[in-house]
Amino acid sequence: MTNGILFLIVLALAAAAYVLARQRSLAAVEGDIKKLHSLPGHHGQTAFLFTAVPALLLMAVWLFVQPMAIDARVSGMIADSDVPQGSSRGLVMADVRRISDGLDTIVALGGMSEETVASMRADISDVRSRLAEVGVALGSNVGNSVFTAAKAYRSMASTGRLGMTAAVLALAVAGLAFGLARVRPEFRARNVSERFVIGLLIGSSLIAILTTIGIVVSLLFETLHFFRLYPASEFFFSTVWNPQFRGGSDLGIWPLLWGTLYVSVIALVVAVPVGLMSAIYLSEYASARMRAWVKPAIEILAGIPTIVYGLFALITVGPILRDYFAQPFGIGSSSSSVMTAGVVMGIMVIPFVSSLSDDIINAVPQSLRDGSLALGATPSETVRQVVFPAALPGIVGAILLAASRAIGETMIVVMGAGAAAKLSLNPFEAMTTVTVKIVSQLTGDTEFASPETLVAFALGLTLFVMTLALNILALYIVRKYREQYE
Amino acid sequence: MDDMRLAEKAVNAAETKIAARNVQVYYGDSHAIKDVDIDIADRTVTAFIGPSGCGKSTFLRCLNRMNDTIPICRVEGDILLDGEDIYDKRVDPVQLRARIGMVFQKPNPFPKSIYENVAYGPKIHGLARNKAELDGIVESSLRKAALWNEAKDRLSEPGTGLSGGQQQRLCIARAIATSPEVLLMDEPCSALDPIATAQVEELIDELRGQFSVVIVTHSMQQAARVSQRTAFFHLGNLVEFGETGQIFTNPRDPRTESYITGRIG
Repeated sequence: MTNGILFLIVLALAAAAYVLARQRSLAAVEGDIKKLHSLPGHHGQTAFLFTAVPALLLMAVWLFVQPMAIDARVSGMIADSDVPQGSSRGLVMADVRRISDGLDTIVALGGMSEETVASMRADISDVRSRLAEVGVALGSNVGNSVFTAAKAYRSMASTGRLGMTAAVLALAVAGLAFGLARVRPEFRARNVSERFVIGLLIGSSLIAILTTIGIVVSLLFETLHFFRLYPASEFFFSTVWNPQFRGGSDLGIWPLLWGTLYVSVIALVVAVPVGLMSAIYLSEYASARMRAWVKPAIEILAGIPTIVYGLFALITVGPILRDYFAQPFGIGSSSSSVMTAGVVMGIMVIPFVSSLSDDIINAVPQSLRDGSLALGATPSETVRQVVFPAALPGIVGAILLAASRAIGETMIVVMGAGAAAKLSLNPFEAMTTVTVKIVSQLTGDTEFASPETLVAFALGLTLFVMTLALNILALYIVRKYREQYE
Repeated sequence: MDDMRLAEKAVNAAETKIAARNVQVYYGDSHAIKDVDIDIADRTVTAFIGPSGCGKSTFLRCLNRMNDTIPICRVEGDILLDGEDIYDKRVDPVQLRARIGMVFQKPNPFPKSIYENVAYGPKIHGLARNKAELDGIVESSLRKAALWNEAKDRLSEPGTGLSGGQQQRLCIARAIATSPEVLLMDEPCSALDPIATAQVEELIDELRGQFSVVIVTHSMQQAARVSQRTAFFHLGNLVEFGETGQIFTNPRDPRTESYITGRIG
């Protein structure tokens, strides 16, 4: 029985529980709903939840735990001699799983009976070619202990599946019986289903938090792995980035970090003044009709895919900057430059600054503007001295959102700034950023064993810590300089 | 209406500060103020009373051209401040508002310190040549608004941290810091408790020595307590205008009588 069918059966049981509990509650009061504490629908819901939720939870946990438990037992069965040179037990386990799946396929196609499979031996029958017939390609001949392990894996998996089906169905039926047994006129089904809803909501928020923690932990483990292969001091203090896939690379983060910061700063220098001023125009001066046109027009900028911005950088902005600024002043000859990427990225984040700031400025109460105007201030004095300070915490938030967008941006940098890791002050030179290097270290044929690939995780973690620090700084600034209005 | 202290109200025969002639106000298509003629005397408290939506606040906001900030609002007729038309093209509304201060219904201190709130007007109009002069203006304004004793030790704290009544007195201090000639108050006590209301009313009576005060109020007791002259608005018309004592004891128009005895409104 597949998981999908099992899931549907549980749902069908739960639906039956709903109908039965409804009828039972009505029958208990002979149709006089007023005598019930909760409506029949609430009784139905409660029975539904009691049937479905525990059974599905058990199913989820079982599906998660079973492979781990089987792996742990089977991997001990593989003889050390069957683990090839340069490979690892984990890779052989992958083979075991594929052989077991392959055997399943062969049996399902009727090519072999269960008895034949049980009596098959790797050193006698040609397992590799039989498996190749059903589309399971193996890199080498199958060792004897590996094949035994695969057979054990297969039988354990099928036992596990059977056990799970039985347990889940039993729990669903038990839940149904329990739910129905509790249907009585004075039973507070309404409150019980309310508690289930609370549980659901808490569960959802936990998922979001746990995912974040999971991402950080997985980054952290790979990063620690990297630091075992490559000294942390070199990574954090070396100023040379020169990965060699034969080994002996220099993996200093500084050239990348410098590129990231340089590009982001240029982007913000472009985006913040333009974005803020357009936000002030929109919220304080523009007529309602003008605003209805201009605001969506600016927001279109946010909807353009970054690859299109990359093209714009590559074929328009880059050559213009090179021909009219870099070459006449003799400060660069490449159309890929920090300046190109920064300017284009700045244009990309303008709507983040302007649209958010506009909303925030609009949220400043009209009474403050009236108060200032009534004292004889001009509209621009009012904006500068009253509205802007009141909106500042939100505006700082908008700018930092734009900054984290800029720091995480990849495509525009690849196409606008190039891929050369360099430490230079000249904005018309090609440089690159952390995100670009994460991509380039992980693309192509890679295995996650060498420092050259694992460095991507260390870079990712550094980037994460940077944006986290930026957010904490923003919170601190906002708390310290907040000017309350109510 | 026993608590009305009407008798001892002496109305000085002061000269006219603001004269309105044939004023019409339109919000888009709706005609909000119709043919209003009124003379507001100097150094006098004039109260505008009337049911909600009768146009008294709208008319008040015409006097310092705050209605200019509402795009659909249109004002016709003449409003003369010391004989000069404030809707004349040569008059800068920004300068005008420095001469005619305004206090709003809800206290609206700026999200700045108490000191900065009061110093805001003098700073933008360049009324102080140095810090010492500015300090002097802030202190005297806060004293006039009866807030100095409570606020003098916390001038650098945010104005929004004060209580509601204190906030409203801060707004009054802020308005009088630019030394206006007229002070407009739009229901200044409607968000305050009775004690704070009494303090603000007392203050209004003191301010009468220096300014002409125009106050919009929903409370007839308040109008009777603080004003020397009262104008009754109804459905955009100025129904009756006269000495407060006369309006409350001997109204000429039946609509005024109905309103003050509680039959309409």
